[in-house]
Amino acid sequence: MNYFPWLTLVVVLPIFAGSLIFFLPHRGNKVIRWYTICICLIELLLTTYAFGYRFQLDDPLMQLTEDYKWINFFDFYWRLGIDGISIGPILLTGFITTLATLATRPVTRDSRLFHFLMLAMYSGQIGPFSSRDLLLFFIMWELELIPVYLLLSMWGGKKRLYSATKFILYTAGSSVFLLIGVLGIGLYGSNEPTLNFETSANQSYPVALEIIFYIGFLIAFAVKSPIIPLHTWLPDTHGEAHYSTCMLLAGILLKMGAYGLVRINMELLPHAHSIFSPWLMIVGTIQIIYAASTSPGQRNLKKRIAYSSVSHMGFIIIGIGSISDTGLNGAILQIISHGFIGAALFFLAGTSYDRIRLVYLDEMGGMAIAIPKIFTTFSILSMASLALPGMSGFVAELIIFFGILTSQKYLLMTKILITFVMAIGMILTPIYSLSMLRQMFYGYKLFNAPNSYFFDSGPRELFVSISILLPVIGIGVYPDFVSSLSVDKVEAIISNYFYR
Amino acid sequence: MEYTYQYSWIIPFIPLPVPMLIGAGLLLFPTATKNLRRMWAFPSVLLLSIVMIFSAHFSIQEINNNSVYQYVWSWTINNDFYLEFGCLVDPLTSIMSILITTVGMMVLIYSDNYMSHDQGYLRFFAYMSFSNTSMLGLVTSSNLIQIYIFWELVGMCSYLLIGFWFTRPSAANACQKAFVTNRVGDFGLLLGILGFYWITGSFEFRDLFEIFNNLVYNNEVNFLFVTLCAFLLFAGAVAKSAQFPLHVWLPDAMEGPTPISALIHAATMVAAGIFLVARLLPLFIVIPYIINLIALTGIITLLLGATLALAQKDIKKSLAYSTMSQLGYMMLALGMGSYRVALFHLITHAYSKALLFLGSGSIIHSMETIVGYSPDKSQNMVLMGGLRKHVPITKTAFLLGTLSLCGIPPLACFWSKDEILNDSWLYSPIFAIIACSTAGLTAFYMFRIYLLTFEGHLNVYFQNYSGKKNSSFYSMSLWGKEGKKIIKTSFRLLDFLTTKKNEKTYFLNTYRIDSNENVRSMVHPFISIARFGTKNTFSYPHESDNTMLFPMLVLVLFTLFVGAVGIPLFNQEGMDLDILSKFLSSSINLLHKNRNHFVDWYEFITNATFSVSIAYFGILISSFLYKPVYSSLQNLNLFNSFVRSVPNKIKILGGKIINVIYNWSYNRGYIDFFYVISFTKGIRRLAELTHFFDRRVIDGITNGVGIASFFVGEVIKYVGGGRISSYLLVYVSYVLIFLFFF
Repeated sequence: MNYFPWLTLVVVLPIFAGSLIFFLPHRGNKVIRWYTICICLIELLLTTYAFGYRFQLDDPLMQLTEDYKWINFFDFYWRLGIDGISIGPILLTGFITTLATLATRPVTRDSRLFHFLMLAMYSGQIGPFSSRDLLLFFIMWELELIPVYLLLSMWGGKKRLYSATKFILYTAGSSVFLLIGVLGIGLYGSNEPTLNFETSANQSYPVALEIIFYIGFLIAFAVKSPIIPLHTWLPDTHGEAHYSTCMLLAGILLKMGAYGLVRINMELLPHAHSIFSPWLMIVGTIQIIYAASTSPGQRNLKKRIAYSSVSHMGFIIIGIGSISDTGLNGAILQIISHGFIGAALFFLAGTSYDRIRLVYLDEMGGMAIAIPKIFTTFSILSMASLALPGMSGFVAELIIFFGILTSQKYLLMTKILITFVMAIGMILTPIYSLSMLRQMFYGYKLFNAPNSYFFDSGPRELFVSISILLPVIGIGVYPDFVSSLSVDKVEAIISNYFYR
Repeated sequence: MEYTYQYSWIIPFIPLPVPMLIGAGLLLFPTATKNLRRMWAFPSVLLLSIVMIFSAHFSIQEINNNSVYQYVWSWTINNDFYLEFGCLVDPLTSIMSILITTVGMMVLIYSDNYMSHDQGYLRFFAYMSFSNTSMLGLVTSSNLIQIYIFWELVGMCSYLLIGFWFTRPSAANACQKAFVTNRVGDFGLLLGILGFYWITGSFEFRDLFEIFNNLVYNNEVNFLFVTLCAFLLFAGAVAKSAQFPLHVWLPDAMEGPTPISALIHAATMVAAGIFLVARLLPLFIVIPYIINLIALTGIITLLLGATLALAQKDIKKSLAYSTMSQLGYMMLALGMGSYRVALFHLITHAYSKALLFLGSGSIIHSMETIVGYSPDKSQNMVLMGGLRKHVPITKTAFLLGTLSLCGIPPLACFWSKDEILNDSWLYSPIFAIIACSTAGLTAFYMFRIYLLTFEGHLNVYFQNYSGKKNSSFYSMSLWGKEGKKIIKTSFRLLDFLTTKKNEKTYFLNTYRIDSNENVRSMVHPFISIARFGTKNTFSYPHESDNTMLFPMLVLVLFTLFVGAVGIPLFNQEGMDLDILSKFLSSSINLLHKNRNHFVDWYEFITNATFSVSIAYFGILISSFLYKPVYSSLQNLNLFNSFVRSVPNKIKILGGKIINVIYNWSYNRGYIDFFYVISFTKGIRRLAELTHFFDRRVIDGITNGVGIASFFVGEVIKYVGGGRISSYLLVYVSYVLIFLFFF
């Protein structure tokens, strides 16, 4: 039983079960919906069971490892395994994807394909987080692009084809760099390709080569993460996509970039990372300010939220750039926390869009009377997004602040400057998120919608928002829930920087 | 009694179940929860009274044996970074918690009636209890991070409560303004906390003070950096306590329901800044620049607040400016290093101001039925007047609060304000002169409010304001359709009465807006109503219910007697330690270090007569100016003779000066305009600029690449079209060119 391939099961089950959707009898959308949700739930339960019983928290090494030879002549293995850093994102993926599937229920057009794509996304997202082989990582990374492209181009707003094309060009373009990096690392040195994470982690390269590899990976992850100036696909994509796709995009896909930065750039290329980290910090601070000041200028509700998530990703970059234990912990906490908050905000924006059918903020107004429950949850989550204490965002940002402060790499003046500028972002955040709330909900009825009576959020929507809300508050009250997962692994990574 | 201390950490969490239950109930079972309504008010009051008993117990313990209790447990464990949660019970904590719970209980009881017709009754109680929770958490917290957490939570409660009536656009703007302004302070607070953590490596107050003092003693710190950090910490207090540059949110915060203004924006939350400075005074006092800056901020604020309060029309806004001015007094006292006096004034002011706000709420409540549910009307002092006859109990309570705030003995604020003025003479004569003249101004504007509100006759009926603002009558209630039953018939009657002087056709226009059936039926016989109105059917304001009067009376008792805690009483041993200084004897008291504890009664009486005479002078001037013409002729004669004796030029000059002051005050010192022009528009412009940059430049490059590749593709498509003849043409032409050259 000890060798039961849990991770393979977790990775393969959704896409396999998803392909069975096409063989289901034609009995309307209901069957498909229930089937998909059941698969998601089973998957989530499997994941939690496997992680709960087969995973030791105090071990910084890879666990639940699997190693099967796949392609013989190429030395390509099916290597899976998880450790402290990846367990959080995988659980987040399971949680958010299940909720996103629950959120897709209003989709009726081509729901068979839609649900299949959701399940394929499920696999495609867990894949990169759990792979232990560079090429497998790359393949999984690419695998998840196709469903997103289809989801974007078939369901969404008016400009969906434009944004889907933009998305695929950006990400596929960046994948080239990823592939270059992967092959470069794999083919370096010995005659046989070494694609294993563990062996590559212990290898050292000439500095120039390492920097080249680093830049390649950085571009790939910078597009995904996004880091300015490669972020423009994100507002367009988020502005047009259906909100369940947005949940996946904001909740998980963006985190894959950050995860890749930690997993490959920090772990495999430590020298280059310590050279590049000041630049990462600077870019991160600029990103926080830049995105936070672009956000109030957006008229489109979803684009405003999209810029807010760009701004929050800046914190992750800073946390990664401050090579310190605390900072990296904070970055991982922010990955999880923003996964919840971003997904929930897009969900709520989508549900309110379903009701008023207005996109632009200045046309809205006075919705609070009609839909008090959405108003309540929206306000709570906006508060969470502006880092109100007691919510997860606050803890993550606070820990990142401390990470900069305790980092031994930087001089005092730079630390002060970066902290100061980051904190200015703290003033800008309430400006856009509260004015968004005000324009949507406050005031008297301003919009002349065809029907001025709306249904408040039903039990399904309420369930989705509350079940995202609970972990947000839970992490905010007791952050050790999440940070205890990653503490040991983070320490192991950081110790690399000081004992080499 | 050590074991009660062990449970002191529970203090902030006692009122927490109420907001949690109401919140969950409203989200999940709205109708069932709403049916319970009043049932929720009782537990919130009960839980708060339990907290009050707790904190009273602690304070008695502390008076007896001067103990400071601290309990700590860890929050996050990391290798090189851990956060602790703790609970610190010392005199400052118990004073603040008693204050919060007593005022909080009174306000909760009051608002049960005040809000009883409101749709958001339950939401109100949830917010209110949550704000009590976070306020209690703030005062019991034992380290800076915890302070920051509760600081922000209190700010959020304030945001929610200011925006409580979110259908009003003005409230929506006000709450955002309050939150963002407070966030500017929080920005400073967080950076200050981080800076001090960097210097000392601790968040814990006592460790922090100890380490910091050692460092300063050994001269191991960069003085500039320390001053910067202390300044940033102070910025937090400036924003929360509405001190000078960041005070703009407080008057706008009066958009919230009046009980909120009493509890949060007068008694507790705005005192949090004072609390923070008092808590960190050992830190600030080491850095002379900062302590002087605190005093300076205090004096600027108290003068500014008093001048701005002079000509406000809105009763709550003038009270808000008065709060700001009084907070300036406290800040001044802290800046002078007299910790005890600042706290004393904090206590007395909290009770008096809460009383005043509850009184104004009662007035507003009784005016609302007459002039309509718009803050422009129900809070407008121009429309009030003569309420003395109609709301006698409220009038008495309000008068006592006014007198207390003016500093008339033996009411509470007299004792504390007198001490502040005394101390300011010791500190610096210029500050003392400003502080004393502001005491006169305080008396002036407070009596202006009182006289405009209660003396004379009800001005509503003298105003022909139908010409100005006919259409803006709130014919619909705040919460849209369902709330229509709140509108009372007297309100409609009044419409007819006040507008009857206009043309008859005007009526019909006015009521087109109101689609209600009742009105249409009433439009028809309006002539008879006009005749009806000439008879005795003016509706007059009524006294509020007992539930609203009771808390006011309790607060009147407090206002009368709370001064006693700070009054020096001779004991049998000849020691004249009053309760408050006995209480705070462990704390620092810089200014009085060398003064013996015997109060010189002669000095006290001279000072007191001086300050009281200033106050009386202010009252006298205000009664000259605002005493209604018809109510007392004697004063008028006196005033007229006084005026006649003044030469004409001076009169014109005086008129001009008064005009300038009125404009200054009415336009809020032009500070809001300045902020709107500089910051709000600046940020908007920045947002547009970055948006433009993002759209045109960064995205433009991407799109440009896309379009360029499209054209390249088109060209290649054209070139590679497969027409042999064109290939031949190109080939031949190149060959010809080649031949031509060689």
